[in-house]
Amino acid sequence: MLETGLILRALARNKIGALLIALQIALTMTIMVNAIFMIQDRQHQMQRDSGLDEANTFYLTNTVFGQDYNIQAHLQTDLHMIRNTPGVIDAIQINAVPLSSSGWSMALQHEPGEDKDAVGSAIYMVDEHAINSMGLELIAGINFTQEDIELRKDGQSTWPAKTIITKAFAENLYPDDWQSAVGKTVYISQTQPMQIIGIVKALQAPWNGWNGVERSMLVPFHRESKGSYYFIRTEEGRRDALMPIIEKALAESDKERIIRRVTTVEDTRKRSYRQHNATNKILTTVVITLTLITGFGIVGLAIFSINRRTKQIGTRRALGATKRQIMSYFMMENFIISAIGNVIGCIGAVGLNMWLVSTFNLSPISFELIAFGVVALFIVGQLAVLYPARKAAMIAPATATRTI
Amino acid sequence: MLVMKNINKIFQTADIQTHALRDFCLQVNEGDFVSVTGPSGSGKTTFLNIAGLLETYTDGEFLLDGEDVGTLNDNGRSRMRNQKIGFIFQGFNLIPDLNLYDNVDVPLRYRGFNAKERKRRIEENLERVGLASRMKHLPSQLSGGQQQRVAIARALATDPRFLLADEPTGNLDSEMAKGVLTLLEEINQQGTTIIMVTHDAELAQRAKRTIQVKDGRVSELEIVSPQMNQAIA
Ligand SMILES: Nc1ncnc2c1ncn2[C@@H]1O[C@H](COP(=O)(O)OP(=O)(O)OP(=O)(O)O)[C@@H](O)[C@H]1O
Ligand SMILES: [Mg+2]
Repeated sequence: MLETGLILRALARNKIGALLIALQIALTMTIMVNAIFMIQDRQHQMQRDSGLDEANTFYLTNTVFGQDYNIQAHLQTDLHMIRNTPGVIDAIQINAVPLSSSGWSMALQHEPGEDKDAVGSAIYMVDEHAINSMGLELIAGINFTQEDIELRKDGQSTWPAKTIITKAFAENLYPDDWQSAVGKTVYISQTQPMQIIGIVKALQAPWNGWNGVERSMLVPFHRESKGSYYFIRTEEGRRDALMPIIEKALAESDKERIIRRVTTVEDTRKRSYRQHNATNKILTTVVITLTLITGFGIVGLAIFSINRRTKQIGTRRALGATKRQIMSYFMMENFIISAIGNVIGCIGAVGLNMWLVSTFNLSPISFELIAFGVVALFIVGQLAVLYPARKAAMIAPATATRTI
Repeated sequence: MLVMKNINKIFQTADIQTHALRDFCLQVNEGDFVSVTGPSGSGKTTFLNIAGLLETYTDGEFLLDGEDVGTLNDNGRSRMRNQKIGFIFQGFNLIPDLNLYDNVDVPLRYRGFNAKERKRRIEENLERVGLASRMKHLPSQLSGGQQQRVAIARALATDPRFLLADEPTGNLDSEMAKGVLTLLEEINQQGTTIIMVTHDAELAQRAKRTIQVKDGRVSELEIVSPQMNQAIA
């Protein structure tokens, strides 16, 4: 530009103000980029596929208190009743619900024995209706059959011989070829062999903050337990109507148990990510506030320096500067200050990110995000300086002779 | 050539109207050195500002180098200021953050000269006012007379046809004032037309031509200066 050299040299003689604004820009950049990064990270987490048909599923707890209660028989009649309710696609008994933040985990290993590397996984005890009831997608191998389903007593430590795992789990166990997992024998509880018979596309563990959240396994168990979940999938749009119907039918069919916490999976997701949403709102507010403060800081400094230089601006006009040239002087000055701020800001942003990465196990920031931060702050700077620069351009040339 | 015919200038503030110039008529020829005197508030600065295109006039006709100034927009006036007019101010109006070299550079950049041409002109004009050795100094490191010389170098760097000066010696002691005036005379001898407003009668007399402004009008025209008398005799 026309006057870049002169602007630089004039700035060099008025370092403090410019440097303070540059530092403010740098700080904004550092915090903005990392906050956006954290927001995106959370958003990305929230967007992960749970594997479930979330819009059409709900669950409830079934707690038995009767003495000598035949859990096994009641389970069969309950499931039979629910599955045959018009509008219900399928239903299962299950020990834990994805996204609900409470559940069970086990680990699988390639070789039997202690001290072998084992990979942790959420474990869901279900029957052959699970894939249909949860809306999972079987992408390799086969489903359980009715014969596979075993009865599990509370506290039992032996496991069935078959399992279906998620693709992410298969990739973890067999990094070279996840499909080769089908048919393989792995070991649970260190020594008990278990054959992988199928792979589902996705099914999240109950804990959304766990870095293994995509690793889950289904095992063919009916639980003989006094407390369990029934997980139900309905036809499109019929969930809300069916929830009270099924609750009532279960409650009335048997007075020796209580039906509680009839909850949709959608609500569970909302509750599960409530903290994420709240944090994102706070971070967004921080980013916006900080950007505004920086913008106003730029406006303030520009107005101050223009007021201080009124006579100088008049003189420049007298020497032949057009309004445009006066405006571009201040736009350019701001551009230079922003550039300095952005350079420091990039270093700060990467530095803060490196610290976050090492302290909180976050992934490193992307180049695109830093580029976005740079562009955004240049735009904020130019917008902020627009009004003062226009004001400067409006200073009358006669100011050169009329002011002392 | 500068021609003003019946120029009026009315300043309109919230409730007061000031008629600063009334049917102001003046012709300044190529190569003239005109000094303008007159009481305070008579309209001298207003005249000079209009002549230098810093202010617009309310009505009348103003031709500068044959061009009708009234038809120019703000950009056109800026360009004309840059190309044809050099200003010298009472307060020097140097840019305090820039050294002498850069100060002289300012109008040259607006003109769009390349770096080599600018360097040549800056050095030549600082040389002309005797300050080439202090190019890297800041204005604050110079005396008032030296600062005004830098301002003159800056005004001359664009090769203007007109040099307009509003009390160029007003902030200088008489020694320095005489020095500056001698410099202006040299410049005028080299062909630049000069119009200078001054309160100092002695300095005013040294111009080729003196006019007096009273109540917004030119009250005396064509007073031949003693120097001119001597030259004729
Ligand atoms: N911007 C303005 N608004 C209103 N009135 C103005 C303005 N500028 C000048 N005037 C008025 O116009 C008249 C002429 O002013 P001008 O500055 O031309 O006088 P001057 O001859 O230069 O005086 P001095 O010798 O004191 O510098 C004065 O009455 C002044 O108050
Ligand atoms: Mg005046």
